[in-house]
Amino acid sequence: MEKEFKREMQSLEKIFQFIREFASANYLDESISFPISLVAEELFTNMLKYNPEGKHNVTINLNKDNDKVAIVLIDHSIHAFDITKTEYVDVDQPLHKRKIGGIGIHLVKNMVDEIDYQFIDGMSKITLIKYLER
Amino acid sequence: MFDVKLVEGKEILLFGRFDAAQVEKAKSIFDAVNGSTIVDFKDLQYISSAGLGVLLMTQKRLSESGHVLKLVNLNKHIRDVFAYSGLDRVFEIM
Repeated sequence: MEKEFKREMQSLEKIFQFIREFASANYLDESISFPISLVAEELFTNMLKYNPEGKHNVTINLNKDNDKVAIVLIDHSIHAFDITKTEYVDVDQPLHKRKIGGIGIHLVKNMVDEIDYQFIDGMSKITLIKYLER
Repeated sequence: MFDVKLVEGKEILLFGRFDAAQVEKAKSIFDAVNGSTIVDFKDLQYISSAGLGVLLMTQKRLSESGHVLKLVNLNKHIRDVFAYSGLDRVFEIM
């Protein structure tokens, strides 16, 4: 399943609905649809935040293949933003040292099993793999 | 769909899905509390880093006056989000 979404916060509800339809069609329960929703939200809002001048819609592709689900987000951007190379987040810091924000990509990395990033001719393509049983 | 209610100034009830589009609505309630407060997740199905940010900001502010947020009735998936972010050690989760 593939769909394009406008670059606006109001698209989140449409993205969640898209994920619900995908989960329902593939008999996926909340243990899979929850992390798919979370990684899609974190990456979509990241694209809005770090590519505010972007004019193209963001494409999301969801595909189930036997024992795994692939989540692909495609954006058109001037600059690459390789989420596989983001800074380490120390989640053991006490309250007074914790920063507001910056945890989204860390959560993405914990919610899926594999992440691939490609930046080709101004197109950012993030592919995430979530295994159904592991 | 998301909703947030403050009950008698001491308990916050969360409903639905707490995503990035709901931050301002949530902040309008969380910014209004000034003492230790129970946050009931019983009817919350989903939270992302944006929702965690609102909770963390409130916890930091309250801690300056010796108060805390106490989180109750989190579902398994939301507990996982708190664990992955290390915020299960920053909040009292019951």
